[in-house]
Amino acid sequence: MTEATPTATDQSRTPNEAATAATAAETAVPEGEQPHECPHCGRPFKRERYLVLHRGIDHYESLTEAEREAFFETYDAEAADIRRFRILALGALVLIYFGFLFAYAVFA
Amino acid sequence: MSFRRRTRRLRLVGGLLLLVAAALAAVSGTALAHTGGLRGASSGALDVPTWLFLTTGGGVVGASFLLASFVTDRAYISSIHDWGGTLPAPGRAARAAARLGGLALLLVTVYVGFVGPVTGIRNLAILVVWVVWWGAYVASTYLVANTWPALNPFRTLAEPLPSLDLEYPARFGAWPSVVGLLALIWIEIVTPIADDPRALAALIVAYAAVSVVGSVAFGTDAWFSNVDPVSRAFRYYGQVAPIGRDESGTLRFRLPGAALTDSRLVTGRDEVAFVVALLFVTTFDGFVGTEPWSAFARTAVGLGAPPLAVYLVSYLAGFGLFYGAYVWAVRAARSYGETYLTADYLARRFAPSLLAIAAGYHLAHNLTSVLTLFPTVVSVAAAPLSPPQNPPVLASVPGWTSGLEMAFVIVGHLVAVWVAHATAYELFPGRLQAIRSQYGVTLAMVLYTMVSLWIVTEPFVEPPFL
Repeated sequence: MTEATPTATDQSRTPNEAATAATAAETAVPEGEQPHECPHCGRPFKRERYLVLHRGIDHYESLTEAEREAFFETYDAEAADIRRFRILALGALVLIYFGFLFAYAVFA
Repeated sequence: MSFRRRTRRLRLVGGLLLLVAAALAAVSGTALAHTGGLRGASSGALDVPTWLFLTTGGGVVGASFLLASFVTDRAYISSIHDWGGTLPAPGRAARAAARLGGLALLLVTVYVGFVGPVTGIRNLAILVVWVVWWGAYVASTYLVANTWPALNPFRTLAEPLPSLDLEYPARFGAWPSVVGLLALIWIEIVTPIADDPRALAALIVAYAAVSVVGSVAFGTDAWFSNVDPVSRAFRYYGQVAPIGRDESGTLRFRLPGAALTDSRLVTGRDEVAFVVALLFVTTFDGFVGTEPWSAFARTAVGLGAPPLAVYLVSYLAGFGLFYGAYVWAVRAARSYGETYLTADYLARRFAPSLLAIAAGYHLAHNLTSVLTLFPTVVSVAAAPLSPPQNPPVLASVPGWTSGLEMAFVIVGHLVAVWVAHATAYELFPGRLQAIRSQYGVTLAMVLYTMVSLWIVTEPFVEPPFL
């Protein structure tokens, strides 16, 4: 995997919090990939929905009505995935809890 | 509209889950404390098998990651980290008193180290350095605030001197401090400076000389902010503390560990290496005091390897292993997090979370010796040049202190898991993306926990060949 030269892109939230060269987000896009670039700060994203979310989070003020709408839609769509993840996480927690409960009952 | 409402509901859920996490941590802390206490009280006859005990520690860290993953509200997460307020700055008089006090303590330590009794436990220099400074004072840098910039006697010595103001080579970055930290702990492990007051005093004088020469060459600021490993270690530990300065230099209070998401703390590979080194040296220091290490060292030396080489190779290999595990964790973050952020950048942002682990482990590692030797320090300090023949030592610490040690290791990791969680939410626009990015880091933390817990519970064995 060949990587392009890292470029610094500003992802600070407010103008007065401008990132310095040392703390700026550093990104590298592998050769041959088509990143989704943020029109406001130039930061590249692997998926379009990450770009839509990023715009809504970091550049909400400068978005058009349609772009805001797209942000809320993507945010809601993500909520469904998160729900699925939470059920799995809850399952894992239950498994850990009872796993240890049994382990202690048997070995301790 | 619906966005706002959901945010509020999520905030409630988030708060609830935090409470549950705290309760769970408390319960597991008590359970572990009980185990540790039993172990301490019955000298090794533990009801719970070691593997189960270690897995429990790892399981608590893993479970806390899962619990943290329920908190997906950005505003709520950042509000936790932004909580705090300003404090009045200490006055000029307080600062001057701190500097004078630090300098006086340094002079007394070196003087008593050279002319005082040769027995380690009767010499104030040994006690001041290892119990008061390395044990208690270091703990204060991450439990309260980093006061070293005000106290630092080496800086006070160097400051009045003229400086050549040579340009500090930027490409060296923090690397000299990484080498310096590894070298200092190496000296601590393989030389008798832990018991021999003369050797310790000589080392302090050498350290002061190097600091003064370096400050004269590059200026005190350049020296103590780049090269000096002790100042850097305390600066990093201070970031864990509930009191510290923000970017404008204002003194603020905050939740412990909340400042670890600051992106200005670690800004290059050199500083990542320093953080990993800080975590590693505390671990290795404990590791050489375990029975398996003794067995390993004896076998290796039996096969004809020079003892010091065995220690050095293991020391450097161990550091490589810790660094490698961290780099692996960050690569995992990059691939699971589906991001174009570079691995280097992710390594810098996630590194501060390790400081909470290092702090928890330092506290666990030093608690008993500080408690045990506290009466010794008091009685020897009363008459440094003619201390009692057998200075008092706390005969035994209560059984639950070993439980407290376990709890400190676990709490350090819990804070680290949370800091990594909050950092991920600053880095990634997708909430699920942020959670997935932590898989590797969480696994690395689970492994670190199990290693640290194992070392803390192993009975101390005098490291061979030293």
